[in-house]
Amino acid sequence: MSTPEPFATPNETRLRDLRAGAAGVLILARVVAVERREITRRSDGGRRPLLSGLLSDGTATVRFTWWDPPRDGIERGTVLRAAGVEVREFRGRPELTFSWKTRVEPASAVELPKVTGEEFPLRQVRELAPPEEGFRLRARVLRVQPKTVTVGEDRRVVHEGLLADRTGSISFSSWSDFQLVAGEAIQVAGGYLRTFRGRQQLVLDDRSVVSRVEATDLPDPAELLRAGPKTIARVEDEGGGETVAVEGIVVGLLPPSGLVYRCPTCRRTVKSGICRVHGQVEGQPDLRARIVLDDGTGALTINAGRAETERLWGVTLAEARGRLREQPDPTILEEQILEALLGRRLRVRGQGTKDDFGVTVQPESIEAVEIDLDAAATELSARIPVGR
Amino acid sequence: MALREPAWRVTARELESSLEEERGSGERAAGYLLSPFGARMNRVVVAGSLSPAESIGRDESSAFWRARLSDPTGAVAVTAGSFQPRAMAQLRAARESRPAMVVGKVHLYRGRDGVGYVSVRAEAVRSLAEGEERALLADAVRQTLDRLDLIERVEKAPSTTESDLRAEGVPTTWVRAAHEALRRYPQVDRAAFRRELGAAVRRVAGESGPVPSESGRPTSVTVTHVAPPRAPAPPPTAAERAEESVFLDLLDEIAEVSVDGYADLKEVVSRLEAQGLVPDRVETVLSRLEEEGVVEEPIVGKLRRA
Repeated sequence: MSTPEPFATPNETRLRDLRAGAAGVLILARVVAVERREITRRSDGGRRPLLSGLLSDGTATVRFTWWDPPRDGIERGTVLRAAGVEVREFRGRPELTFSWKTRVEPASAVELPKVTGEEFPLRQVRELAPPEEGFRLRARVLRVQPKTVTVGEDRRVVHEGLLADRTGSISFSSWSDFQLVAGEAIQVAGGYLRTFRGRQQLVLDDRSVVSRVEATDLPDPAELLRAGPKTIARVEDEGGGETVAVEGIVVGLLPPSGLVYRCPTCRRTVKSGICRVHGQVEGQPDLRARIVLDDGTGALTINAGRAETERLWGVTLAEARGRLREQPDPTILEEQILEALLGRRLRVRGQGTKDDFGVTVQPESIEAVEIDLDAAATELSARIPVGR
Repeated sequence: MALREPAWRVTARELESSLEEERGSGERAAGYLLSPFGARMNRVVVAGSLSPAESIGRDESSAFWRARLSDPTGAVAVTAGSFQPRAMAQLRAARESRPAMVVGKVHLYRGRDGVGYVSVRAEAVRSLAEGEERALLADAVRQTLDRLDLIERVEKAPSTTESDLRAEGVPTTWVRAAHEALRRYPQVDRAAFRRELGAAVRRVAGESGPVPSESGRPTSVTVTHVAPPRAPAPPPTAAERAEESVFLDLLDEIAEVSVDGYADLKEVVSRLEAQGLVPDRVETVLSRLEEEGVVEEPIVGKLRRA
C-alpha cells in the first residue's frame, strides 16, 4: 500500500451516508469482491492497471474503482481505510473512485462499525426491493427449516423460511443459524435482498443481527397462513406472493400433464430420453397436472406434483402406467385427468409467481370445497327484490 | 402480456341479452362480448341442462355439433367442431338431456336483420351431479349480482375511482366493464333482470327441478329489431328464376372449393354484387330459396343446398 500516513480526520463516512459529488471522503470498509483489469490507453497504447469490485462496511455495499492500485495485497476480505476518495453516482447509486490523490492503509476488521441494527432505517416488507441493504425489518417468522446444500466443495446448512409483517411476506435464507423458531417475532438488521426464481428473497449471514422483539403490531402467524382466499384478479394484480390462497373451479389442463419422465439427477422433464442438462438419461416416470383454476375474475395455473395429482385423480402412478400399457397413448391419461378434475371446486394455497403467461402456484395444499347450497340460496335471495 | 381470459360466470339470460362487442386490436387480440350487466366476456362457464346435440356439419371431415344449454333464466347454443375434439365428443355422447357445465368462448353473430345470435364454442364439457350444477348456478348468480351492484354504484357515484374499488378487491376489468355496460346499454332495465335471477336462486335452493331442455333448434336468439311483416310474395317471375339459378350456381361453385363444404354468405354476396346483383336483391333471392327449402343456413353465415 502506498504512503501509509496518519490521517488528519479520524471520522470515517459510513458507506450508507455517501453522497455523490463529494471528494476527499474518508472510508473504512471490507473488500467483498475484487477484480483486476488493465485498460489500454488510446493515445499511446500504454496499459493502465485497474482494480474494481465491491466494498462493504455493514451499512451498505458500493462499487469501487481503483486506478493504479498496488501490485498485490488487495483481495477479498481485506479491510482498508482510504482517505481522499471521490464519490460519483452511477444509475442512482453511489460509486467510489480511488485515484492518485487517495491514500489507502490496511485496517483491522474490529475497527469496522458495529452493526447493532438500531442505526438502520426501519422498513416494511412491501417496501423492500433489491439491491437495498442497510435496513431493519420487524417481522414474524411464519416458518423455518434447515436444508443442507452443496456450495462448491462444502456442504453447508441454510435455514430457509418465510417472514411476514402487516404489509406482506418475504422468503428468507439464512447462512447462519439464528435459532429461529416459527411463530416468533424478530428484528433483522444487516440482511440484503436478492431475486431468486422471480421472487424477492432476504439473505441473512454472519454479519446480520437478529433479535427477538415484542410483537404488538405483527400479524398472527395462523391468521397469515390460514388467510381466506383472495380473488385471482387480485393475485394477478399483486404478482403472486409467498402465501397465496385462492378458490375456484378447474376449467382446463395445460400440457405437459399426466405421465412425464424426469431426469434422475435434476428432475427436469425428459423429452425423447434427453435431459436438457444431462443428455441421454433413463427417465423416471412421474405424474403431474398443470391445472387451470378460474374464479370468474381471473385464471391461474396450479402445478400439482405426483402426490396431489394421484389424490385428486384417484389414480396412482403405478395404475396410470398400467393403463398406458393397455392403451399406449399418453394423451388418454391427460384426458382422463381432465375428466376427473373439470369443474371441481378447489381451494389452493401455495407460492405464486407471475410471468408473461400469468400466475403459477406451487401448491402447499389443495382441498376440495363443498358449497352449502341452502346457505347460498338464502344469501342470494336476500339480494333479489321481491315483486315489482 | 397475454394473460388467460377468465371464464365469466353468467346465466343464459345474460348471454342472450348481450349484443355489443369489443374488437381487440392487433394480431391475435382477443375479442369480447359486452353484456348490459357488466360482463366483458371472451370465455364463459355456464351450467344447466344440456340437450342432445345435433350435427350441423356437412360430412365427417367437417364435423360440427350443436346443443342447447338451458338454465332457469334462458338458453344458449353450445357448439363444438373438429377443432374441439374432446368437447365435441362430449356433446355427441349424450342421448338425453342432462345437467352439465360448459367452458367455452362466446361468439356473437349479427344477422342481416339485426338479429343477434350468441353461442358458446365449447372448449370443455362435463356432465354434472345435480348439486354441482346448482353450485355453479349459485356462482353465476352471485357474481352477476356483484356486477349489478357495481354498476349501480358507479352510476350513482361516478367519481369512485378504479383504484378505490381495487383496494376493496373489485377487479379492474369489472369496473371497466361496468362503465362500458352503462355507456353501451343506456336503456336496459337492470332491476327487471335482477328480479329474473330469482328463478335461478329457486333452482339453487332446490325448489325447482332441472330445466327441461329439448333438442332441436336452439332458441338462443335475441331479436333486437323486428322486420315489418312482408306481404305474401307473388309467384316468382322468369327474371327472378334466372337470379335464383345464378345464385345457386355460384353457391355450388364456392361450396365446391371451400374447406368446410359451405359457401360463405359474405363471399356469395360480394361475388353476386360483382355480377351486378345489388345486396338487397341477393337478400330477397336467398330468403325465397330458404323458404322454398332449396338452401339452408345451418351455421350462421354459412350456406349449403338443403
